Amino acid sequence: MRLHAVEHGHRLPQRLKLMLIRLVSRRRVPDVVKTLFYRPEFFGGPMCDWTQAVMRGPSPWSVGERELFAAFTSRLNQCLF
Amino acid sequence: MDGRTGRYAAFTKRLLDSVLATSGHTPTELRRAVLARARPSSPLSGTESGTGGADIAPDLAAYVDKVALHAYQVTDEDLAALKRAGHSDDVLFEATVSAALGAALGRLERGLSALRGVASPPDPLSRVGPHPVTPSPSGRGGTRE
Repeated sequence: MRLHAVEHGHRLPQRLKLMLIRLVSRRRVPDVVKTLFYRPEFFGGPMCDWTQAVMRGPSPWSVGERELFAAFTSRLNQCLF
Repeated sequence: MDGRTGRYAAFTKRLLDSVLATSGHTPTELRRAVLARARPSSPLSGTESGTGGADIAPDLAAYVDKVALHAYQVTDEDLAALKRAGHSDDVLFEATVSAALGAALGRLERGLSALRGVASPPDPLSRVGPHPVTPSPSGRGGTRE
């Protein structure tokens, strides 16, 4: 993570959730999660709601197909999925 | 807010409203300008594409373009230089989110236009060259008749 604030500057509720994720997964938390948890009222909250609706909401596409679209798009963007 | 309709319009609007209109560490005009800069013109673009009011500092503008067009090329040194120039972490966070959102909406709109058969403006990403994905020879269904 290149921005110190987004790596370490989370407020208490998000910091607790990040600790929980670390404890349960026994891994470092992915940067995308840290980004979504940083000032969630600005970006992460509405972004997660949108993502949830697109990726898990009613759709003619199955969840697996949608995940495949996302992985393919990330590859075109040279972005780790 | 924008010309998109469809089942996710309310989600799009909420995200745009919070990124562009909530109080933050940058003026909302700057965030609008960054988003408009990162969002290629589109037949579906809404009013926020036409608000080129705020000036974006040249160093920040170069960073915004990088995030929008080839984010994978952003380096630690890019961010370090911007911080040395006086941009705080929160300013850079807001600029990054605004740029990424603008670029994403532009691509979404081009994709939807293509599905509808509407002519789209050229894709600025095409400068990265043809993508390396080729159909797999084993992807034809295997043993099934």
